[in-house]
Amino acid sequence: MASKPRRRRKQRSRSSKSKSSRRLPRWLLRSLLFALGLAIGLLGPWVWWLDREVSLRFADRHLTEASRVYARPLELHDGRALSHRDLLVELEATGLRAGSPERPGRFRVEGERIDLHLPAFDFPDGHQPAQRGAVRVRGGRVELLGEAAVLRLPPAELGRILPLDDRVRTMLELAEFPPLLVAGAQAVEDRRFKHHFGIDLRGLARAMWANLRAGEVVQGGSTVTQQLVKNLFLTPERSLLRKFNEAIMAVSLELRFSKAEILEAWLNEVYMGQDGRRAIHGFGRAAEYYFGQPLEALDAGQIALLVGMARGASWYHPLRNPEHARDRRNLVLAMFHETGLIGEATLQRQRQAGLGLRPSLRSGASQYGAFLDLVGRQLRSDYRDRDLRGTGLRVFTTLSPSAQRRAETALAEGLVRVESEPDFLQGAIVLLEPDSGEVRALVGDRVRGRHGFNRALDARRQVGSVIKPLVYMLALARPEAFTLVTPVADEPLTVDISGSGPWQPVNHDEVSHGKVPLLEALARSYNQASVRVGLAVGVDALFELMRQLGVAPGRDAHPAAFLGAVNLTPLQVAQLYQPIASEGYSAPVRSVREVVDSDGETIARYPLRLKSLKQREALALVDFALRRVVTHGTGRSLSRLLTDDPGVRGKTGTTNDRRDAWFVGYTNDWLGVVWAGRDDNKPAGVGGASTALPVWAGLFNELPTRPVRSGWPDSVEWFWVEWPQPKLAAEYCDGAVAIPFIAGSQPEVLSDCLERRGSGPFNR
Amino acid sequence: MQSIRSFSRFPAFATLALLAMMVLAACAPWQPTLDDPEIAEQVRAPEGGEEPSGLQVYPLRNPAVRELESAAEAARENGDFDRAEALLERALRIEDRDPELLQRMAELQLSRGRWEQAESYARRSWELGPQVGDICRRNWRTMALARERDGQVVAAARARERVEICPLEPPERY
Repeated sequence: MASKPRRRRKQRSRSSKSKSSRRLPRWLLRSLLFALGLAIGLLGPWVWWLDREVSLRFADRHLTEASRVYARPLELHDGRALSHRDLLVELEATGLRAGSPERPGRFRVEGERIDLHLPAFDFPDGHQPAQRGAVRVRGGRVELLGEAAVLRLPPAELGRILPLDDRVRTMLELAEFPPLLVAGAQAVEDRRFKHHFGIDLRGLARAMWANLRAGEVVQGGSTVTQQLVKNLFLTPERSLLRKFNEAIMAVSLELRFSKAEILEAWLNEVYMGQDGRRAIHGFGRAAEYYFGQPLEALDAGQIALLVGMARGASWYHPLRNPEHARDRRNLVLAMFHETGLIGEATLQRQRQAGLGLRPSLRSGASQYGAFLDLVGRQLRSDYRDRDLRGTGLRVFTTLSPSAQRRAETALAEGLVRVESEPDFLQGAIVLLEPDSGEVRALVGDRVRGRHGFNRALDARRQVGSVIKPLVYMLALARPEAFTLVTPVADEPLTVDISGSGPWQPVNHDEVSHGKVPLLEALARSYNQASVRVGLAVGVDALFELMRQLGVAPGRDAHPAAFLGAVNLTPLQVAQLYQPIASEGYSAPVRSVREVVDSDGETIARYPLRLKSLKQREALALVDFALRRVVTHGTGRSLSRLLTDDPGVRGKTGTTNDRRDAWFVGYTNDWLGVVWAGRDDNKPAGVGGASTALPVWAGLFNELPTRPVRSGWPDSVEWFWVEWPQPKLAAEYCDGAVAIPFIAGSQPEVLSDCLERRGSGPFNR
Repeated sequence: MQSIRSFSRFPAFATLALLAMMVLAACAPWQPTLDDPEIAEQVRAPEGGEEPSGLQVYPLRNPAVRELESAAEAARENGDFDRAEALLERALRIEDRDPELLQRMAELQLSRGRWEQAESYARRSWELGPQVGDICRRNWRTMALARERDGQVVAAARARERVEICPLEPPERY
């Protein structure tokens, strides 16, 4: 890849044929003339075709202007749970800057009080004019000071995407590029850009002369127009035919489009290196990728570096070839100086400066890259291509910038705390708002802003015990057979499987616990009991339920699936838990709320919908058991780690040889899925409670939460019961526990405690 | 409750409409007409349109929700159902467990001919609500109307019965 670019292969001079035509026989002359005629006859249509291609495809390129993607707008109102710090993160993400609130787009902090001047914004439901407001954040709660009862902040712009294109760009208009870049790029790449007609014969001659003098290629002769043609329409192979096509197309482009259009397109299209599998195109994106800053914030040295890279993004790659990059930058700076674009002082200062890279923020504005990845995929799967091809779409999404920040920090810091050696583990976090299924944060890598393998969407891993609540839910949906206190045998068992022989599941601690209530089997995640419960409902029912919830379980219907031998991504796990966390109302996990075209017309929106699952009552019982997990079961270490427990429900998961650690936990406000493990899927010594749960707790400690209030159907009734042999008891009986039942399924046998008192449970 | 008083001017109409609808629901599959503003009024102004009777529960409500809700009500009265729905959604994102809000969404869905959503929202409102008084009756009336229009005659009749037995007092909890 790192070959020196644009080296012109010297055309070997054709073998001499300069002998006088007078000596040519007549037949040869005739055939030459015939060949010439043929060439002209073919050339005409060829040129016509090239010209047509250029005009169509260049115009088409203009149609695919990038879509702007916005976060969810933050609504400020009295009582909203939000920390002061998160509010500042939100304001800054929205684009507000510290300053006098006299001007729109500014805010001022004075102690707990924040005065803000929100800029105007065109929401999908209409124009919202600029407005001033003031809020106070006290004890993690917002208080509005002023007339309005609700202040809707304009949404943060997360980035721009071309949903149907895997190149990454940040499209800018010509006027948005810094003048130094626009002038500098012409000074370096094509000084006569304003004057030539697509090909520059003088420039070509000068370049060849310079190269001859220097004995190597120091200047390229291609015009900006030719480079654009090459970038847009042609394959990288080098041949005379391609050179010819390039010239014709460049002239055609010049005839049909203005210099400004061509320059703008070039600035947005020029190849600037690779970001993983995706090619970086254009200066806007390059600035974000290499410097973590928008283009307008770059200094002269950084601009010179980028301009230099346009000649060969691999050879002058500042990370891989920093020496080449530095030399090239200094050469470009000298050219800037020579053409009067920068002064002597700037030249000297910038020559001494470092490259100004910010490796930690290398993906810059794509700090939302993992989430934008999801947005792109959901757009492609849910919308018609021709809708997405529209120009200047605006995509309104579900992301919370402050929650995203918290989640990134929680993963990065959490893994450091739980791993045995640095950078041993990787992880992912998916954070939803359970009722709507809206994704509030998505982290696919422990390094913030690194955008390569998106584990939240693409790491398909065994889920372990995280699957069990679904198995138990199917059992509890048959109240005549199973209640939370039904005794289940946690004892060795052998399952015969046709084709693969007998299977003998064991418990994590390799101990069998005898007869245990179903509730305890789930809360303590006993494998043998769980397989017994699972066999009663069947693998097919489990897989059917997963499909119903929108998750493809795979084809291998082995009973080991009851213990989580199913490969799922963290996003899919979030989808499975969404109805459990939202009291039985299922919603597809999604990142897009609405797509609006450039005229403000809504192309499509996902309205809030309530769709109740038919196993809602059983889910209420599972919800109770999942509370038991964190109070008495495998997740009981949570209470130590949480500064304040709002009533979290959760489930741990650990897979064979400790390869994967999972924790899924929820309240009314949040559903969080944490996965940790190794990318190479080697044993990692991790566990759901020891690895994933602390990361989860670190996140939830920072999120604004409210106490859990349950709203289950009234066919779920509570009774005091005793176990292991389930008996109806009362609050005053020793060891009695209040347990929810689907009405009518409560035990009928009365406890001795009641017999002694001679009373029924409710006629005290 | 300004709106209730204004609807009470049309008691005869409401009764007639209700009767006509029940007859139709019984004999033929109903052809849903979308965006029918009248139907929601039948929920709030029942036969006779009397003032709410029995125990009324007026919990302390989030002012932001109240503001968005009244803006939605204004949009609905102007016939701008899209805007009304967007405003109610905003309010629900702030307070997704407010029974009054859920019931308003149920009535809007009813007006838009989305029977299943109307029933779901009304049921959710009932589950999370006080299950007494006026809102209880509105919950079950919405469910009844939605089921009738959806052709579920028996289920609709059951919901009608529930309207009548909405308690005046909070249920005894033990």
